[in-house]
Amino acid sequence: MIRGQRLALLAGAGLVLAAAVTAPVPARAAKPGGVVTLTLREDLPQGFAVHETSTISTVWPAMPCLNNLVLFDPLKATESPDTVIGELAEKWSWQDGYRNLVFFLRKDVKWHDGKPFTSKDVKYTFDIVREAPDSPAKLRINPRNDWYANVEAVEAADPHTVIFRLKRPQPSLLLMLASGYSPVYAAHVPAASYRTSCLGTGPFKVKEWRKGEFLEYVRNPDYFVKGRPYLDGLKYVVIKEPGTRIAALQTGQVDVSFPNEVSKTNAEQLKAAVPKLVITPYSTNVNDNIIMNIKKPPFDNVKVRRAVSQGIDRRALIQAVHQGGGLVGAAMAPKPYGIWGLLESDLNAQPGYGKPADEKAKARKLLGEVGYSPQSSLKVEMVTRNIAIYVTMASFVISELKQIGIEATLKQIETAQWHATATRGDYQIGANLTGIGPDDPDANFYENFACGSPRNYSFYCSEQVMTQFHQQSQELDPKKRLAQVQAIQKKLEEEAARPLLDWRLDYFTVWPHVKNLVPHQSIYNFARMQEVWIDK
Amino acid sequence: MKTYLLQRIAIALLTLLGMSVVIFGLLRLAPGDIVDILFAAAGYVDAEQKQAILKELGMDRPYWVQYLEWLWQIVTGDLGKSYRYELPAWELIKPLLPVTLELAGLAIVISVLLGVPTGVISAVRQDSGLDYVLRVLSLAGLSMPSFWLAMVIILGCVAWLGWIPPMTYVGPTENWRLHALQFLLPALAVGYRSSALIMRITRSALLEVLREDYIRTARAKGQTTRVVVWRHALRNAMLPVVTVIGIEFAFMIGGLVVTETVFNLPGVARFLVEAIQWRDYPMVQNLVMFIAIVVILSNLAVDLLYGVLDPRVRYGD
Repeated sequence: MIRGQRLALLAGAGLVLAAAVTAPVPARAAKPGGVVTLTLREDLPQGFAVHETSTISTVWPAMPCLNNLVLFDPLKATESPDTVIGELAEKWSWQDGYRNLVFFLRKDVKWHDGKPFTSKDVKYTFDIVREAPDSPAKLRINPRNDWYANVEAVEAADPHTVIFRLKRPQPSLLLMLASGYSPVYAAHVPAASYRTSCLGTGPFKVKEWRKGEFLEYVRNPDYFVKGRPYLDGLKYVVIKEPGTRIAALQTGQVDVSFPNEVSKTNAEQLKAAVPKLVITPYSTNVNDNIIMNIKKPPFDNVKVRRAVSQGIDRRALIQAVHQGGGLVGAAMAPKPYGIWGLLESDLNAQPGYGKPADEKAKARKLLGEVGYSPQSSLKVEMVTRNIAIYVTMASFVISELKQIGIEATLKQIETAQWHATATRGDYQIGANLTGIGPDDPDANFYENFACGSPRNYSFYCSEQVMTQFHQQSQELDPKKRLAQVQAIQKKLEEEAARPLLDWRLDYFTVWPHVKNLVPHQSIYNFARMQEVWIDK
Repeated sequence: MKTYLLQRIAIALLTLLGMSVVIFGLLRLAPGDIVDILFAAAGYVDAEQKQAILKELGMDRPYWVQYLEWLWQIVTGDLGKSYRYELPAWELIKPLLPVTLELAGLAIVISVLLGVPTGVISAVRQDSGLDYVLRVLSLAGLSMPSFWLAMVIILGCVAWLGWIPPMTYVGPTENWRLHALQFLLPALAVGYRSSALIMRITRSALLEVLREDYIRTARAKGQTTRVVVWRHALRNAMLPVVTVIGIEFAFMIGGLVVTETVFNLPGVARFLVEAIQWRDYPMVQNLVMFIAIVVILSNLAVDLLYGVLDPRVRYGD
């Protein structure tokens, strides 16, 4: 071979090598088959009746059976309007200045019993959830009718078109419909039937629900997304004892942890024991907060409330209670996980978020202004739910409040009584946990801070702030809306309406053969399991 | 004997009636009800909605009406419906029974197989080095809470074997090896503690019997120690041991809650605790009555066994 030819050959080989090195590695093709085993901390409360509960213990195991009109893309961790994808709706359109939301439904969808899905099912579902006057049925418990307070009517224009007619513009409606809390029920079965069984359109059908033991799903062969789901089935095993749950995960008896279950310490121990485990820290959209009964003294006084807020060192709480597994933030989940959270510079300027020593000094001064002193300290009873995650947080808060001259005794309230106590206002101050469906201001503000909302346990009510809620809810310009939402958060912190202590991080743990199960910034929205596959 | 049995049955029925009043009353005295729990899962409470659900479940009726309805259900064999699962109570209870009965049975067998021989050895070799070792082991068993031991077993399995027993029930016909492992470990955790008690009672009772004159006579006649102990002394020493075994078995039926929880076995005790937390009155009432029946029957069995062990004990007509 002559020299020139040799050089050309070498150059050609070099080019091929360069192409191979720089070319993007194609993603591994998903393999069909296999069963993923997950765990539950308790058996499904209320069965599959997602519209009648507000707990991850229902949403997590029920989502595979059901579908929404729209959903947050399961493969994208951060939820936003840009990550909303169609499920039962093929496409949608905002009309009339965001006053009408029109969904064009898929035509090839069947319920698990073979009956066709139509717009009638959507109308039925959202008429009962919003408690429409002509609703054909009633939920016996309805925690989220506030989400749909702005919906004037749901119209089934034709079998595959449904229109949500709103009283005023509300861009957030789409995100609330994308939450795991917004599935569509079948109109041809009673809503109550979802408490005992699941008739859905989802990627999986219920095979067996052995009460107290496990829930087993089998693949839906008629699912409207061809080629999905990849898995043959799912099995959710009820393991009540936390230590046993972690042991089951560590030994591979379960493939996936339960959301909001694995603390930073557990994660470190798991990783040390089984280095190949895939552990992803993410924000759960669950926060620790302080509720104060604003209807009664002393917390009807904003200075006292602010003193409480300023007396708690949030960063120390995150270290002590969560071993660093948390983020400081105000009413909306903070960045990088949430998209509405305050900037760090703004957050640090809020009461309670600055340097601990300075904040505590300010807290003592505030208490002094209203007549409390080290000689005449404020004595209160702090209530909390009698489960470990509440009690450890409450104990820390009590120790913090002691440093500013508030003597708090802890009263643990049984779960059966907790929400009744909080809703009735039979308490002075409480240490609470709140989980929010989507990372959206409407879902959060109207539920937790609006006048008259049953979950506004502090009974905070400000007409000015309500006006701000309505204003941001209708704002169509994202930048303006962000500014309005951030202004509301500052106002809520100023008023110490419900001081946020931290946003909990979870360390979602899966075995490496489980693919495409991406945790989102809210634990309530990523459990469909449609895209999950096993590489075994 | 017939008269005795009839008397015991009559007493048992009276006991169960009394228990039913106590269970029914205590449950209603506990704060909160199923409706409060349902609202807890929803994060709020609404007084009007609560009243509607109470009416739907029949819980707005006077207590005496609810109580009589429940008694009538028991008599007619209808155990009512679970408030939580909205299914017939018997359908939910049925699969739990074999799990708990098997676990309790296995635990008792282990405790007897460990406790009686070690008790005999300890009594026969009183104050020897072996006696001290066995007494320390039994003290450890009595001091160690079975839930702690259960947790240690689980953690030990994880740390040393990288394995734990199956987390869902494996029937004996499905895979008998896994089934055996699934029950053996919790049975050991429970059985060890019970064996400690049985060992102490056996030792104490046997020491007393070994001091009797007839034992001295047997030795004087040239009987070997083995014959003296196993043929003469042990049988007479077994009365208090059998009593304890009966009590332990009865206790286990309702007392295995932590073991069942740690080992994730779907038994009566674990389900009962959850039903209590949920204020699922039909389930709690029926399960507690079941436990009461087991206690009564095991006491009856123990009393009848006295007659077998000691011919002097006769239940006359």
